Amino acid sequence: MDQAAILDHQFRVAAYIITWVIQLSYLAWLGYKWRAQKAKSED
Amino acid sequence: MKRTLIGLYAAITIVLMINGYYQAIYVAPNDAMQGEIFRIIYYHVPSAAVAFVFFAISLAGSIGFLAFRRNSPDKAQVADAWALAGAEVGVVFCTVVLTTGPMWGRRAWGIWWTWDARLTTTLVLWLIYVSYLLLRRFAAGPQMQTLAAVLGIFGALDVPIVYMSNRWWRTQHPAPVFGGAPGSGMDKSMLPAFGWNMLAWFAWGVFILILRFVIERRQQGIAAAEAQAALEA
Repeated sequence: MDQAAILDHQFRVAAYIITWVIQLSYLAWLGYKWRAQKAKSED
Repeated sequence: MKRTLIGLYAAITIVLMINGYYQAIYVAPNDAMQGEIFRIIYYHVPSAAVAFVFFAISLAGSIGFLAFRRNSPDKAQVADAWALAGAEVGVVFCTVVLTTGPMWGRRAWGIWWTWDARLTTTLVLWLIYVSYLLLRRFAAGPQMQTLAAVLGIFGALDVPIVYMSNRWWRTQHPAPVFGGAPGSGMDKSMLPAFGWNMLAWFAWGVFILILRFVIERRQQGIAAAEAQAALEA
């Protein structure tokens, strides 16, 4: 594997990880909001 | 029954995502010119497509809110919840586009960013919808939803400009792969991976869009109950 191919691989993996970090962070925030609403409606 | 359907949809979405990843990384060949970095297309382009569709849902919701707000307040609240859900989830997908795009550009063009028409109009689109979300978060009073609906409609006007930008102007961003000039298109060996990923990201997007819509409807219910309680106190 030459240097360019290694960099391509690293960038591709990093882009995929960033994509899922964004998506799952948002899903976690929705989950937090859902739980907060549930707690509020039970009060 | 409802829980079973939600669980089934979530399971199908997870299977689609795993298959999409497998197709993109292990089945589709490397691009002859760009090599492995081209595989970013399998989540960059579907994310852009999902963002565009969800901004269109936000547009429809905003128009619906303005149309119903005087005569059918309940319908107006449903439309407003769709407008917010579409805008917010659209911003999430647009953020993915604006982070994966520069990473692809760095390897393909040697630069992270350039102020060409496609990139600039996409950034403007993201900024408009972030402004929309900030308006909804921090503005108070009965006019907030109306102002947000108007901003949502203006924001959606940028979507066709983003889509057409690399057809109307010469850009650093590549010419359209689909629906572009004669000779454009994707190699047949890459099409299944692209199609599966498009399906998978739409399934994922619809899942979180509906979740966001349900949360907003519940929030509207809580706000209405609190307002009623305050009146009765």
